[in-house]
Amino acid sequence: MARFLARRLVQSLLLVFIIITINFFLLHLAPGDPLARYYHPDIAPETIELMREKLGLDRPLIEQYVKWIWSFARGDFGISLQYNRPVASLLAESIPNTLRLTAGALMLYIIIGVALGITSAVKRYSLFDRVSTVAALFVYSIPSFWLALMLILFFSLKLGLLPSSHMQSIGIEGAGHFAMFVDRLRHIVLPAFVLGVASAAAMARYMRGSMIDVLGEDYIRTARAKGLPDRKVFLKHAFRNALLPVVTIIGLSLPFLLGGSVVIEKIFSWPGMGRLTVDAIHARDYPVVLAVNFIVAVMVILGNLLADIGYACLDPRIVYTRVGESK
Amino acid sequence: MTALTDSGGNEPRGLWSAGWSRFRKNRFAVAGAVIVLSLYIVAILAPLLTPHDPIAHGDLPKTRYLSPRTGHPLGTDKFGRDVLARVLYGSRISLTISFLAVAISVIAGSLVGATAGYAGGIVDTVLMRIVDALMAIPRLFLLLTCIALFSRSVPLIIILLGATGWMATARLVRGQVLAIREQDFIKAAEALGAGRRRIMLRHLLPNTLTVIIVAATLRIGGIILAEASLSFLGLGVPSPIPSWGQMVFGGRDALLDAWWVSTFPGIAIAVTVIGYNLFGDGLRDAFDPKQGA
Repeated sequence: MARFLARRLVQSLLLVFIIITINFFLLHLAPGDPLARYYHPDIAPETIELMREKLGLDRPLIEQYVKWIWSFARGDFGISLQYNRPVASLLAESIPNTLRLTAGALMLYIIIGVALGITSAVKRYSLFDRVSTVAALFVYSIPSFWLALMLILFFSLKLGLLPSSHMQSIGIEGAGHFAMFVDRLRHIVLPAFVLGVASAAAMARYMRGSMIDVLGEDYIRTARAKGLPDRKVFLKHAFRNALLPVVTIIGLSLPFLLGGSVVIEKIFSWPGMGRLTVDAIHARDYPVVLAVNFIVAVMVILGNLLADIGYACLDPRIVYTRVGESK
Repeated sequence: MTALTDSGGNEPRGLWSAGWSRFRKNRFAVAGAVIVLSLYIVAILAPLLTPHDPIAHGDLPKTRYLSPRTGHPLGTDKFGRDVLARVLYGSRISLTISFLAVAISVIAGSLVGATAGYAGGIVDTVLMRIVDALMAIPRLFLLLTCIALFSRSVPLIIILLGATGWMATARLVRGQVLAIREQDFIKAAEALGAGRRRIMLRHLLPNTLTVIIVAATLRIGGIILAEASLSFLGLGVPSPIPSWGQMVFGGRDALLDAWWVSTFPGIAIAVTVIGYNLFGDGLRDAFDPKQGA
């Protein structure tokens, strides 16, 4: 186990290194001079040359590359061109908000997906199973931004039940902890639902397949033959084993959720990383875009690592060894 | 192609016709195929199906935000343009972009995957680590990064959608090639003195063709959604060209008073993606039963 962990960690670090490299070359592919926005009749060309020297842009590419890696590794992502603030501080403000939204979506989709998947598997080929199969396909195929607008139209504009944007109401801070909690909960319901619903559909399909596989196993037949009630067989014996392969899916869904958050945050004015990115692109604020890219990639790699570890911990049958290596 | 039918063993009809008959028996798959086919017909015949111009502004402000009625069955938008006309012409953009982008990503992915799988060793390791790294970045972020660096245009969107989607195909093809590489007919070709290039292009890739086609069809839906998301964010197809994603975005200002502006393009996207997904699932079940879930 320790050996497996060490190897996965080294692999993850290697991936992070490759991603920093890709980021560096992307930036250098960009057409134009990074100092072009300082060109001005009032600014002497010598001043710009001085800046170039000071920023190290006149150094050989390989030297700039080494510097780039070193600063990224220390969490120094440069200065945002748009806000003239360190990118790291912008990230520190927006990452928790994105994580909150993603966590909400994650919880929602796991609960919905697992519940639907198990019911479908237990009542296989029933009307419920068929309807949920078709619904899953439908949900998987509709654009999230459109679903978001339709839900806003219905729940916020027509019925006035839920707020359509931002994380909390203005001036709610003074209203006490409980009121604030309820207010935030009301704000997160729509965005988290839209973000998680496609994953819930995928989850339901996987859960159904996994549960059907497990229900065909001998030990389930044994449990039934012993005379255990169906409920107990399903929940105690089948469910726990069917959950195993699904754990991996949760790890793999992370890039999907983070990618989806870009659109969702923009629609619901959620002050997270996705909105930061879109605004940065409109302003051509490269340092912010590349830093977000990097952070998201690290999150995804970390998520996969945790999923692998979780899987290994949950299933004692799994022993990670290299092919050809004896145990 | 011959290798394909030969390796099918004792099957008398050949893989393609057997698969085709399986496909026809699947009602959902046929429905998907019909949807996809009709979409192409609509895209081609768009000028015949509507008298309205999708780009020119209407007689403002008289024809602005008209609700659905005769003459404008789906209403008009902020600029007095007929929503139906824009939805019909919008199919051209979605279908063209998704088809070309999938072609680019599938060709690039197949070449990388086949090279990695056939060459093995250090080439394989390096290529697959790059694939891993790129796959760790969510596609939309990868797209947005590239868009930030270049100026926007339709060809750029196509290239970027293609360039950010080849990794999964590369993995898939590599796996297939690894499985086929050790089979006898490849050894026979090698013994006959065929070069690496010839073996890869003539023997390995054709044998992974069904898997590639199925994967490509299933990927088109995702590409249409990605293009729509980009356009919705105002970072996709540039403005006057009618694109479904952009039309949904355009209706955001007047959601309550003019719900039809956002609703119908969204339905068009959903129908298209559902069509491709049904079609792709059907192809997979018919031609590649092993891959089925």
